[in-house]
Amino acid sequence: MSVGGISLQRAASPLHDNPTFRRLDLVDPYLLVATLLLMAYGLVITYSTSYEDLAAGDPIQFIVRGAIFTALGIVTMLAVAYFDYAWFGTFAPVFYLLTIGLLALVLVIGHNVLGGQRWITVAGQKFQVSEFAKIFMIVVLAKYFADRQGRMASPLVLGGALLLLAPAFALVYRQPDLGTSLVFVGIFFGMAYLAGARPWQLASLVAAGLAGFPLIWGILQGYQKARLTAFLDPYADPQGAGWNIIQSLIAIGSGQATGKGLTAGTQSPLGYLPIAESDFVFAGLAEDLGFVGAVILFALFAVLLIATLRIGFRARDPFGTLVAAGVFSMLAFQLVVNIGMAMSLMPVTGIPLPFISHGGSSLLSICMALGLLQSISMRRDASRLR
Amino acid sequence: MKTGERPRAFVRPYRFVAVGSIFAILLGVLTVRLWDLQLVQGQHYRSLAEDNRLLRLPVAADRGIVVDRNGTVLVRNIPGFAVSIVPIDLPKGRETDVAVRIASLIGRDAVDVLKAIADQRVRNPYEPTKISTKPIPREVALLLTERADAYPGVRIDAESIRQYVDGPLYSPLVGYTGPVTEDELAKLREQGYLPTDQIGRTGLEWEYEQYLRGTYGWREIERDASQREIKTLAQTPPKAGGNVVLTIDDRLQKILATELEAGVAKDAFTQGVAVAMNPQNGEILAMVSTPAYDNNVFVKGITQKELDALNKDDRHPLVNKAVGEIYPPGSTFKMVTGLSALTAGTATRNTIVNVTSNVISVSGFNFYDWRAHGTLDFVHGFAHSSDIYFYSLAGGSAMSSVQGVGPEAISKYGHMLGFGQPTGIDLPGEAAGIMPDPAWKEQAIGEAWTIGNTYHEAIGQGYVAVTPLQLVNAYASVANGGTVFVPHLLKEVQDAQGHVTFTKTPEVARKLEMKPEDLRLIREAARTVVTIGHAYMPGLKLPIAGKTGTAEFGSSNGKDSAGRNLLGFHNWFVSFMPKQDNSDPTAEIAMVIFTFNSSKSVCDSCINPAVTMTQKVYEAYLGVDGTKKAQTTP
Repeated sequence: MSVGGISLQRAASPLHDNPTFRRLDLVDPYLLVATLLLMAYGLVITYSTSYEDLAAGDPIQFIVRGAIFTALGIVTMLAVAYFDYAWFGTFAPVFYLLTIGLLALVLVIGHNVLGGQRWITVAGQKFQVSEFAKIFMIVVLAKYFADRQGRMASPLVLGGALLLLAPAFALVYRQPDLGTSLVFVGIFFGMAYLAGARPWQLASLVAAGLAGFPLIWGILQGYQKARLTAFLDPYADPQGAGWNIIQSLIAIGSGQATGKGLTAGTQSPLGYLPIAESDFVFAGLAEDLGFVGAVILFALFAVLLIATLRIGFRARDPFGTLVAAGVFSMLAFQLVVNIGMAMSLMPVTGIPLPFISHGGSSLLSICMALGLLQSISMRRDASRLR
Repeated sequence: MKTGERPRAFVRPYRFVAVGSIFAILLGVLTVRLWDLQLVQGQHYRSLAEDNRLLRLPVAADRGIVVDRNGTVLVRNIPGFAVSIVPIDLPKGRETDVAVRIASLIGRDAVDVLKAIADQRVRNPYEPTKISTKPIPREVALLLTERADAYPGVRIDAESIRQYVDGPLYSPLVGYTGPVTEDELAKLREQGYLPTDQIGRTGLEWEYEQYLRGTYGWREIERDASQREIKTLAQTPPKAGGNVVLTIDDRLQKILATELEAGVAKDAFTQGVAVAMNPQNGEILAMVSTPAYDNNVFVKGITQKELDALNKDDRHPLVNKAVGEIYPPGSTFKMVTGLSALTAGTATRNTIVNVTSNVISVSGFNFYDWRAHGTLDFVHGFAHSSDIYFYSLAGGSAMSSVQGVGPEAISKYGHMLGFGQPTGIDLPGEAAGIMPDPAWKEQAIGEAWTIGNTYHEAIGQGYVAVTPLQLVNAYASVANGGTVFVPHLLKEVQDAQGHVTFTKTPEVARKLEMKPEDLRLIREAARTVVTIGHAYMPGLKLPIAGKTGTAEFGSSNGKDSAGRNLLGFHNWFVSFMPKQDNSDPTAEIAMVIFTFNSSKSVCDSCINPAVTMTQKVYEAYLGVDGTKKAQTTP
């Protein structure tokens, strides 16, 4: 495996990547601290928004569940970081087939939640396959672009990437999970750009997308259209499509500078904020902790994402760089869209806010990504490799 | 090979900077938006959050009840059921189906129900909107409760509904309540009225709305988004409306109504009116207008067909005929003619008219009396109700040397006695009546007054028209020695605990500018009407005084809308009863009985039905020998 005359070293097998301890000094401390703080913040918000949620029954269950998943996440992150990330590249075709297969399986046997088939049960635990699919697709696309660094000017390379992405996108969209399928689009553009795709090609794709917009619009379900346009004027249908947005704005605005205090918010416990623990979790956070709490969240994400970019910038090989680019694109896209949606700047598309939204699959998949990032960071010094 | 030495062509620094910058800009936009929402508009959203969470729910207050002067309940509240719909709980797909089925159950048009639901969807789909316009039967309420799955979003609420104990007996006085209209609500909202409110529509329910209406209590609750109540944060108890105590004596009311209804049933007349009052203070003791209507039908929700039937009935059941209709007073008006002549000084008790014939010709027209009475003085002219005697007092005649007092004087004293203007009773829809004079005729009809007009006016025919209440009030002022009171039905208002919160004091409209001996003469003459004259009452022991009246009014052929024979005559008997058989102004009861469309009967001297009924009523009320206590004092 060589690109541009540079031989890519990696451990002979995943288990021969020793000694790991030598690379511990290369662990990215900013990423690690931001990760742990965001996990803790997520638990605090889980506690705060579910504490008085009478409809949900036992308020403790969310916190216990969140804590368990946080612990699992940390273990996952350590486990992934332990291995040389290059192995993920080696097994990218396997991941790809696994992803497509699982996504197809979800459509067949998945659980129906809120009108969408998004879950499969493994060992009594529900998994949202599309969350893991995002990480696998990042790995697959990173491998694809890394192997074609010399030919990035070719439209065929970009077209091939689109073809790779299309089945996953379509299967997720079919669930239907418009939000996650849009995350794929965000990941694609972020990675393609940082992989060196020609801007005019990417611009052409955007233009083609805009041109095909009426066609896409025709495919969308009525409720999807209503949700997508409601943010333009939530008060046009205050009891219907605009309800979520209005209640979200009320929650956020009423938080004012310092918030109503942990568990003191009223919008979420009284049920005005629907899906307050996932899609609209930011509104609950901003209501309870105010502007200060929200800006702290922004700051933690800024540290996390800049650290991610730095890891990509310093990676030893294109695959590492592009995995970091993909993780950055995914997290940044979800952050901006989720919060923009809560503040009525963007259409409502049901994308979870990383770390903060409840959801074991989301947290575990992010931890996998962060484990990959740390693995890239720990192995950035090629000279230390055998 | 050192890391730093490796060519790193795959890292594109500018693109990293660009991506980082885009992210920073987006984060900046989010922060600015957050700043605007939380720090600039925070207070606005804080109050919106409170509005979301807090709801002030009205707690209905009972409307006051109505009782007679002795505490007999005339109007009360009974529990009923109302149907409401919470639009958010009613799936749009089932809306039409549910609306159609509900509409048939509550007797409304499905289109109206659908519109009510649609309106509420816009207003607030989480709040129930009342769709039943009338109380629904218990069975329907039970059906809707038990089959809740078949009627999603439908709610049954208890409500308090008005029950008019004797329906038609008091409907002309009491009136009824009805739902407040949107136009009224615009004006009344600041007084605390709600769209679901009932308001007095007519009668005393309308007149004393201010006392009867209670004050809403309020419950401030915390609610969740499904409008479920989480907890009550604060509450103010409702304040029940005041209980209205009337001056009415239910016993007398029922005696009068029984007599009048029996007369209608016997086809002796088609309509009857009776008013009894206390001349000493203007309190109305009874007021009957028959046929009336059942006001319970109105609160239960009247159908258009029922309403049309009431409106088409030419006996005017919806009108309180004691105050709302005007009739020629006939010979009862001779009191006015006589008092005018006495007060103006053109006649005395000794003024003689020699009625040698039952007809008198003036300007080529014949004016009749019912017989040739012979020589009459004032008392006997009044007692025998001689038309020619009063033609002479009013306009002069060849049968007497008396100078006619003239129509202007009659009009002046007529107005003084309360004719030609509302009495001011505490009821809506009171008519003014007509108290004509030459200037009135010139203006209203455009013709000059004639001696014939004077003669007709003298005996209460022609243009003069009065309400039964005006007539009894005028006689009451004679009976009490010269005070015209504003008649009233309200005695006092009590709060729910029975404490008196308002007492109605007698209100004097004016004093008669007449000589006491002239008023005494009228009382004496009126007593003579009963003792030797026109209103013979067999076996009478009570000192009743009064005056008959008969007015012919057009056709005595054909039938009215109820299929009754048109008989062509009204009969009056207006009376009062002093405490002893003398002419002192001590009467504590005055009464008018009026029968509409009755027969003049076969002979002119026959007793008119009002006289017979009057005797029976006094005797039933006070006892044949006056031993029963009149309920004129509490």
